[in-house]
Amino acid sequence: MTLQLQAPSFGATISSLPSPLTRSTLRFVIRAQVEPTEKSVEIMRKFSEQYARKSGTYFCVDKGVTSVVIKGLADHKDSLGAPLCPCRHYDDKPAEAGQGFWNCPCVPMRERKECHCMLFLTPENDFAGQDQTITLEEIRESTANI
Amino acid sequence: MAVSVTASSIPSLCSDRTTRLASSSSNLSSSSSLQFPLHLRRLRIRTYGVSAPSRPRILPPVEAKKQTFSNFDDLLANSDRPVLVDFYATWCGPCQFMAPILNEVSITLNDKIQVVKIDTEKYPSIADKYGIQALPTFIIFKDGKPYDRFEGALNADQLIERIETALKVKQ
Repeated sequence: MTLQLQAPSFGATISSLPSPLTRSTLRFVIRAQVEPTEKSVEIMRKFSEQYARKSGTYFCVDKGVTSVVIKGLADHKDSLGAPLCPCRHYDDKPAEAGQGFWNCPCVPMRERKECHCMLFLTPENDFAGQDQTITLEEIRESTANI
Repeated sequence: MAVSVTASSIPSLCSDRTTRLASSSSNLSSSSSLQFPLHLRRLRIRTYGVSAPSRPRILPPVEAKKQTFSNFDDLLANSDRPVLVDFYATWCGPCQFMAPILNEVSITLNDKIQVVKIDTEKYPSIADKYGIQALPTFIIFKDGKPYDRFEGALNADQLIERIETALKVKQ
């Protein structure tokens, strides 16, 4: 979510302003972005690495997908207290978090290694890469523009 | 849901956009003593009777970019082409993966289908109405009604194939 205030060009009237106020400096950017805390991201990153190893699954070839999901889990951990699956739409998020079916690792993952978030991919999956690790720097870089 | 107006429905929308810029710049003008031409001030007063009580959020209409519509049903009803709707969430990995693919498909099949993305966290009522559960969910609407529906990420070729199959049965 990004809010931006941008001044339109007025042409002649600008020349009457003091010199520091050029057209480019009249741009005010207010960025209101919902971001999970660094602590939660780190917790979910470690969890993801550990669970991928434990379950014999791999991260996506596109680490951007992995990064977004890890941040989504961290975001839910911050807001709901539990890492609810970020790739679902819920009627009542707190109720779902309390119930637990969709808390990562969710029941479909635990029972059938099915992760539609593309976070934990079985080796035969087309999108599966070779990594079971991901660094905080990779996460930061891939999600810098969201 | 916030109410805002589509570009095609009301001619004064252009003045709305100008109005929004004018009113936001008027904050600047108070600090930098800019004087606005009288016709801009007059526009601002005139559109107050037309727009919703809250400040209208109108973004310039650009192909395959963010727009705010007054009503999803209006969007479906007034569309001249079938509509592919992508229900997504900000922190859903596969949804973000699909973003550039949707852009590409939207350009490739520009005359055949209109691509719309709905943030299910901003518009939960629309997501509930169509029983969205897994994300991303894609629904192809024909004549304002859901025609085809599928979940999960897919690559550009698979998506184009799926869309064209759905469109082939068009009356």
